Amino acid sequence: MEIATVLQSLISGLTLGCIYAALGLGLFVVYGVTRVLNLAQGEFVMLGGMLTVSFVSLGVPLAPAIVLAVCTTMLSGIFLYRFIIYPARNASASTLAFLTVGFAFAIEGITLLVWGWEYRSLTNFLGSSSIHLWGATIFGQAPWVVGMTVLMVVGLFFFFGHTMIGKALRACADEPLGARSVGINIEKMALLSFVLASGLGAVAGATITPLTMTAYNIGIPLTIKGLLAAFVGGIHRPVGVILGGLLVGFAEALSAGLVPTGYHDVMALGLLLAVFLARPRGLLPAHGVAE
Amino acid sequence: MKRELGVIIPAIADRYGVRGGRLVVAVAGVVLLTLPLWATAYVVNMFTTIGLYSVLALGLVLLTGLAGQVSLCQAMFYGVGAYTSALLAVRLGIPPALALVSGAAAAGLVAAPLGRAILRLRGIIVAGVTLTVNLGFFYLVKSAAELTGGATGLYLIPRLDSPGGMSYSSFIFFVVWGLVILCLVLTSNLVKSRIGRALKSMNVLAGGSEDTAQVLGIDVMHFKVGVYIVAAVFAGAAGAVYAHRMTVIEPHTFGAQTSVLIAIMAIVGGVTNPWGAILGATLIVGITEVFREVAPVVLGGATGAYELVAYGVVLVLTLLFLPEGLFSLPTRLRKRHED
Repeated sequence: MEIATVLQSLISGLTLGCIYAALGLGLFVVYGVTRVLNLAQGEFVMLGGMLTVSFVSLGVPLAPAIVLAVCTTMLSGIFLYRFIIYPARNASASTLAFLTVGFAFAIEGITLLVWGWEYRSLTNFLGSSSIHLWGATIFGQAPWVVGMTVLMVVGLFFFFGHTMIGKALRACADEPLGARSVGINIEKMALLSFVLASGLGAVAGATITPLTMTAYNIGIPLTIKGLLAAFVGGIHRPVGVILGGLLVGFAEALSAGLVPTGYHDVMALGLLLAVFLARPRGLLPAHGVAE
Repeated sequence: MKRELGVIIPAIADRYGVRGGRLVVAVAGVVLLTLPLWATAYVVNMFTTIGLYSVLALGLVLLTGLAGQVSLCQAMFYGVGAYTSALLAVRLGIPPALALVSGAAAAGLVAAPLGRAILRLRGIIVAGVTLTVNLGFFYLVKSAAELTGGATGLYLIPRLDSPGGMSYSSFIFFVVWGLVILCLVLTSNLVKSRIGRALKSMNVLAGGSEDTAQVLGIDVMHFKVGVYIVAAVFAGAAGAVYAHRMTVIEPHTFGAQTSVLIAIMAIVGGVTNPWGAILGATLIVGITEVFREVAPVVLGGATGAYELVAYGVVLVLTLLFLPEGLFSLPTRLRKRHED
């Protein structure tokens, strides 16, 4: 096999991996703090992309357009928590997951009503163009996607490790009762986790749109890929989620490069499911006691 | 007004009591089963669709309502049944009636090893994994184009042999509702049997515990996989009938989103009650028809958008205000009246 093919697969693997890692991180932030499996995470990504496209087409420059899109998406995250999750906060995990499914369907429908079914795209950030490297092509937007994920990871590690409010969030994740007894407002922290997840999703959505395009129905497939990333790597630790995301990305890209016919999607998914079923706690399970 | 209704409805329910409930079911049953005699083809077809979804949702009544496993791959087994039956009939020329049975059996055969692998997991993760498996099935059918016809679909599936003097859509209507009644009887018997009680004891959604059940000598894995297979066979049979009804099938029908929709039906109707599955299927199919046909004409906007919003809103409202589903509404009202 040619070097160029391998190199190309590795490059797209890294890019895809970063997208899935970003999705997985959004799932992790909510699941870690509230134990809610948020099946609407992909919708935040979709909204972030769609809103950015709209603001740009209204003549807003790119950077403020992204900020506006992120803020609007965060509002939808607040709505999801305050009016859908909070009233049922004591319900079972499956009820909470299905509440997010209901939200996802509604968002999808509203998006279809407002924007129609067409795929939309953005121009590459700062007009960056493709780079050719030993026969492989790096799309102009790809470095932005990778950079966005790296920034997200660094930001989250700083936030959770070195700020008071981040530590409070972690406390809720580890021991809700204990957190409450030292005066942490758990409801506020849960709300914050949804705001954070929707914001991360929207940033990811805006960044990937020039590369992958966006449409009303990309949310659910993205959520499934994010879930796969979180499960394979281990949803209890951000490092696990990032590793899982990269694995999903590389599995997809490599099988697309190596398997000649259209079976690469099946191969990648089968491989990842096999890995997960062999290690059901994830490749990097939670510290300390098992569930 | 709300308060008055809260008094009047339970009063009526009290007056007629259980007999009223049975009367409603009997009248509904007679109206339904004579439907092809007096209703338009459009209505008959709609109720055939409701019947198919009822069978799919009944599988979830067993799996989720009874055994407490949140599984999101009913649409995959629907597809396994449809494609097996269709391919056997199209490629090998096997009589459709025989192919139909093979379709149901194939779904069971797929479910056995899959259930063994997946149901070792516990909790909400099962939902995520089954959804992923369903997505994998969708990719597989789409990729194996030389066998399945790929994304464009599989055409020219032979019809079932229908008796003379009856239109094909009326015949299929009776086949589907025959299947619904069969599955309904099986489900209610299973719920009341020793197996049903064993499954109930390990239902984590209804206060049971898998560990406690195991300690009591119930082979939890065995029962979980068993009920998973039964739900899959229900779906496989429905899928096989669907294939010979439509004579065209395409992978999109059997995607992850359909699985979620089936779960919504079961939840909205009431996942712990077999009648809830039928009620939920009726409501969701009704919403689909109304919003697909009427809303875009009256309000403008894209076809397919309004029903998505409606599914979401109905699901959220049900989970927030009637967590046991619409079927629990009469009991709830009566209870409130007695308080």
